[in-house]
Amino acid sequence: MSFLCRIARRTLVYVTSMCLAFASLANQSFCQGPAPSQIDVETVYLFNFAKFVRWPAERDGEQLNICIAAQKAYSDSASRVVAGEQIGTRRLAVKLVSRPEDVSGCAILFVGLAAKDHLNDLLNAAAQHATLTVSDIPGFLEQRGMISLFVVNNRVRFSVNLENVDRSGLSLSSELLKVAVQVQGKSPGVGAR
Amino acid sequence: MTAHSYSISVRLTRMNLAVSGAVLLIAAIAFSSYDLVSFRYDLIKNLTAEAQIVGDNSVSALLFNDPQSAATTMKGLQRVPDIVSATLSNKQGELFARYGAGSEDPSKEHRLVSGEPDRVWSSGNSVLVAHRIVFQGESVGEVYISAKLTEIGRRARQYALIAGLILMFCMGAAVVISASSRRLIADPIRALADTAIRVSRDQDYSVRAIAPVHSSEITVLVDAFNTMLTQIQLRDLALSQARAQLEARVEQRTMELRQANQELEAFSYTVAHDLRNPLNAIDSLGFLLEMSLGEIAATSKIQTMIGSLRETTSSMATLIDNLLNFARATSSPLRSESVSLSRLAHEVAAELIASDPNRRVDFVIEDLPEVRSDRALMRIVIDNLLRNAWKYTSHHAQARIEFGSQKPVVEDGSTAGLIYYVRDDGAGFDSERAGALFQPFQRLHAKFEFPGTGIGLATVYRILARQSGEIWAEGAVEKGATFYWRLGTQSSEELDDEAT
Repeated sequence: MSFLCRIARRTLVYVTSMCLAFASLANQSFCQGPAPSQIDVETVYLFNFAKFVRWPAERDGEQLNICIAAQKAYSDSASRVVAGEQIGTRRLAVKLVSRPEDVSGCAILFVGLAAKDHLNDLLNAAAQHATLTVSDIPGFLEQRGMISLFVVNNRVRFSVNLENVDRSGLSLSSELLKVAVQVQGKSPGVGAR
Repeated sequence: MTAHSYSISVRLTRMNLAVSGAVLLIAAIAFSSYDLVSFRYDLIKNLTAEAQIVGDNSVSALLFNDPQSAATTMKGLQRVPDIVSATLSNKQGELFARYGAGSEDPSKEHRLVSGEPDRVWSSGNSVLVAHRIVFQGESVGEVYISAKLTEIGRRARQYALIAGLILMFCMGAAVVISASSRRLIADPIRALADTAIRVSRDQDYSVRAIAPVHSSEITVLVDAFNTMLTQIQLRDLALSQARAQLEARVEQRTMELRQANQELEAFSYTVAHDLRNPLNAIDSLGFLLEMSLGEIAATSKIQTMIGSLRETTSSMATLIDNLLNFARATSSPLRSESVSLSRLAHEVAAELIASDPNRRVDFVIEDLPEVRSDRALMRIVIDNLLRNAWKYTSHHAQARIEFGSQKPVVEDGSTAGLIYYVRDDGAGFDSERAGALFQPFQRLHAKFEFPGTGIGLATVYRILARQSGEIWAEGAVEKGATFYWRLGTQSSEELDDEAT
């Protein structure tokens, strides 16, 4: 059971109707007092992305590493999210990385603003290892990034550059593209909103 | 008769209508209820499938917190017109997206319990389908779809309409079929019934029922009926022939018998008559002999013998007279004339008193109106009856002989004539043997007690029987006897006929 779920269950069982009313007024999903931080939301997204990505077959059976090149708060949050989780037969693990050499075993690489200066090196390294690259650095997609996170109306959304995804040998589920704000590098209309 | 055929054809029609109507009704109910049930089942299955599709398509929206995307997915539900509203809730159970008009939340009343995959709530026409969205083994949310099954009601009405139309059509068909079955069944039966009625009413066994063209049990019935009629006709013919033969035979026998009887009567009359003449001669000779001997002072022994001879001759003459009367009673033609029975009785009484003046006998003779009859025969009747009474009172010193009449006890209102009687207080007779009184030559008393020929009462009986009258007797030993008789009621007509 995920972190968010645990929070929700702990706090919301007895106030469902109030929360629903509040949710509709506030036009947001989370209604308990301390809203989850953006870091938490973004790490949950990383975990969810893993469910919609297909890696090349040779990666089957390997541990699914989520590499974090950002502040330690991100990797702490990610560790809490994926603790004990599994996707298919692949166990999940979180790795804090800072150097491009560390990227070799990463299935997903998150680049935070803190690692903005190493972005190019990290992406170059990731391009050789079929790694899904995610970042909340603005203009990420234009720099060969695959999924870019940003905030719209207090809500974390994302856009996808399919061209960059295809180049790395990964494939994304159309379900994921359906909820993307923007899908670049593919025939127009797919996932467009 | 027409009512019979009417009832048969009407009953056939009704039977056809009832059977076809019942079959159709049952079939319609069975089919439509089966169809409605399976239709409802299919609808609910469809709704469940829709819930699954919506759920599967909303996984990413739920995971990436995108209610708009989910709402877009749920818009697809409008292809199912029955769906009123739908909601999607995330894994925390919060409302995530909705579809449909109004603020109605179908998940308000019913919720899936934790871990429950699918569930359907239905009451009447409304159905709520719930589906748990599971992605990669984890529950990510729930779909609730509320639908009104208005289609079912519409379909049921449609079925009722179609069933009604088919029912009407089939009733019409049943009426048409009944009309043809009436030609096949009711009409032949009516024809048969008509024939049977004619046969029983007119006793006419020559008619025949017409068999229907199509062979069936009715044909067999008609054939059997016709065969029966033929047999009855044949038997009737044989019977009437036999009767005619019998009548002819009886007539022949009667004729033969009458002829033999006439010959016999003629013979006996002749014999009696021819015997009478020599007997008269013998009697005259006896008288002359007695006279002659008396002069020569005959011995008393010869005198006694001659007396005995004359007495025997006299009794034989009486016997012959009686026989002649008897013969005349049966053979002589009847005449019709006015007769006073009282006068006849007085005459006979005077004769009897004269024959033996020493006897003390009281004759009580009623004055009676005259009747129409044959005087000679009535004379024989009264003579016999009074002489009989005279004879059987001869052993009593004092006697009383009555001749009178009494009104008959009318039982059935018939106008029977008077009953006449002759009553005496003489020797009477044994009432058990009364039947033998009127048989010829049957006597209830020994000849030495009361002399007689035994033919008198038989003569009376035959005279009265010829006139359709009757006679009967009452009496007891030493208590006297009463003879009742009545002249026949048809006697006058018969008398007239025979007189001419």
